[in-house]
Amino acid sequence: MSDPAAPRGAARRRRLGGTNWPLTILLLLATLTVLAPLYVTLSMAFKTSEQAVDGEAFALPAPFNPQSFAVAWELTRFPVSFGISLAVAAITVVLTLFLSSLAAYAIVRNWDRRLFRWSLFYLLAALFLPFPVVALPQIQLTAMTGLDNPIGVGILHAMFQLSFSVLLYTAYLRSIPIELEESARIDGATTWQIFRRIILPLLGPMNATVGIFAFLASWNDFMLPSLITADPALQTLPVVQNIFQSQFGTNYNVAFASYLMAMAPTIIVYLIAQRWVISGITQGAVKH
Amino acid sequence: MSHVNPAPGRPALVSRRSFLAVSAAAAALGVSGCATSGSGGTTTLRFYEQKTEVIEYFGKLLRRFEKEQPGIRVVHDTTVAIAPQFVRGEPADVGCFNNNLELARYIKRGVLTDLSDLPSAARIRTDISDLTDQYATFPGRTSVLPYSLAAAGVIYNKRIFDELQLPVPETWSQFVDVCEELQRAGITPIYATDRDTWTLWQGLFDYSVGSLIDTGSFFRKMKELGTEVGPDAEVSFEKDFAVPMERAKTISTFFNPDHAVRSYADGNLAFGKGEAAMYFQGPWALSQIALVDPDLPIGTFALPVSEDPADRKARVNIDLGLWIPTQSRHQDEARELVEFLMRPDIIEAYNNDNLAYSTTEGAPPQQDERVAGLQPYIDDAAFYQGAGTFVPNSIPLGNYLQAAIRSGNFEAMLRKLDADWRRVAGRGATV
Repeated sequence: MSDPAAPRGAARRRRLGGTNWPLTILLLLATLTVLAPLYVTLSMAFKTSEQAVDGEAFALPAPFNPQSFAVAWELTRFPVSFGISLAVAAITVVLTLFLSSLAAYAIVRNWDRRLFRWSLFYLLAALFLPFPVVALPQIQLTAMTGLDNPIGVGILHAMFQLSFSVLLYTAYLRSIPIELEESARIDGATTWQIFRRIILPLLGPMNATVGIFAFLASWNDFMLPSLITADPALQTLPVVQNIFQSQFGTNYNVAFASYLMAMAPTIIVYLIAQRWVISGITQGAVKH
Repeated sequence: MSHVNPAPGRPALVSRRSFLAVSAAAAALGVSGCATSGSGGTTTLRFYEQKTEVIEYFGKLLRRFEKEQPGIRVVHDTTVAIAPQFVRGEPADVGCFNNNLELARYIKRGVLTDLSDLPSAARIRTDISDLTDQYATFPGRTSVLPYSLAAAGVIYNKRIFDELQLPVPETWSQFVDVCEELQRAGITPIYATDRDTWTLWQGLFDYSVGSLIDTGSFFRKMKELGTEVGPDAEVSFEKDFAVPMERAKTISTFFNPDHAVRSYADGNLAFGKGEAAMYFQGPWALSQIALVDPDLPIGTFALPVSEDPADRKARVNIDLGLWIPTQSRHQDEARELVEFLMRPDIIEAYNNDNLAYSTTEGAPPQQDERVAGLQPYIDDAAFYQGAGTFVPNSIPLGNYLQAAIRSGNFEAMLRKLDADWRRVAGRGATV
């Protein structure tokens, strides 16, 4: 993908006559709301326990104490919990992308049939089901089917993502011109081939969006894994990190060191993946 | 419209039927057997204990137990929620949990075994084991062995008291005098943290009630009355708590001016910095205060709310109790572990280290001077379980207290509590 964004941006700036200052200032302020907590997290992670509770959140760490990271690494068994979190998120993302794109494609192209139309409404109805309502039966069912482990957590996460993802995909698929498929059909492609060779590549930006939502939902979830996973040694990061916090005291510096280590991958994933969300991949797919 | 059949003569790459078969197989792959005992004749026990501060401590104890019992491996389960294990039908083999209304449900439903025939059960003080019965009982069973008794009172800054030559108050009027003295000297008498509502009910509410009312029998009658609770009934919040809540109202006039927006963490910080003379908190706050100033001279006394010094009592709770679920498949090994933890040297060392009191006969006194002030009350069994701990979670007591402190209208709060109590009893949800 060549990125012609830079020259185009310069051209647009010339057309608009300079920088839009009010908007820039507004965006700078918005950036602060993200950067300020991030700064506190960073500095807190390098403080000593004594300095962490002195009520001066914005003060720089003195003395500088990188020990918190070692303690957090030890207490959360970081590599293990991190690996499990990653596996659960991976199962979630793969399942969500695969199932919802297939379902959405079938629904959109069969919109004139009642079964398909109503199956979308059925899926959307699940948006009104919060997890806590179905928690206890889910715990029992997963235990009965032997899914009371990270695999089950991943599957459940994907199920809870289905409604929203299918909604996104169907809206997007409607905008893909049918002529593409018709020409492929004339060349003798099967439905499955059309989906794999034409639709899937065109879904690029939506895949990224759905994938990011699924990843974040899974990566940050606390409640579902904490209730579903039976073996305490197989818990995900957010659940393990709960040890730093209790009603009677919080171990701030160690907690924040741990949160930083857990946040890093999400930030990196987002930085990489957001390019596909923003750039239009469908350009040039149809000759006008 | 847009539906096109697959081209005839060319099989689709994946037919619907094979797709379903593959999905079913994938689902089956997720099925794994539950973990049972490992190989080589070792039994694996699961020990459930999730009190954050002592997870490491118990971890060391479990390693010690494994050394003594080579045939047993113990997995430390620190999951937050207790219910899922029972829902799954796979509770831990030994539980070590706060004895409260939540645990009471399990006692009442009879899912915990009888431990009365254990040798260590005979060593437990009866006046302490009676406390567990105040929440729930199961006929003919000792479901929980109390392990650790935490006592709470008024934490006070000895330095401030010495500078102003204030005595430790023994009666209600003395206590008010001390508060007024402190106000005149420009010192905040009591630091309160309304933002964390639990600090209000476990401090202000429980202390005001505890020495004036026998909480155990009061709530037993309240449960019997259920939907009948009200101003004309034998007992009710409105009638019995009227005097205690007058005390609470007076106490709340001595709070720090910004008490409404302060959190528990703020309270520990302010008290550690010496910004207030007294603090209504239990021993759990002491380690947090020590982070701020490890050398702060601190003592604890029981809040007097009557004119007779003999009425003073300490607020206690069974911070940890041991139990074995009936569903545990390793009853004998689980009992071995309970017996190990109940050994005098182990139970006494634990409680001494964690500013708590042992539940067994003849335990040595608590040495830490910060909580030693409550030792006489423990020795004489002059203690009560906080009234707030008998109120089910479905009644937002902490939020009511917030409102009552702001408006000064505690009577309305008590009427509301009665109404809520009737409602909860009507739903049959009281535990």
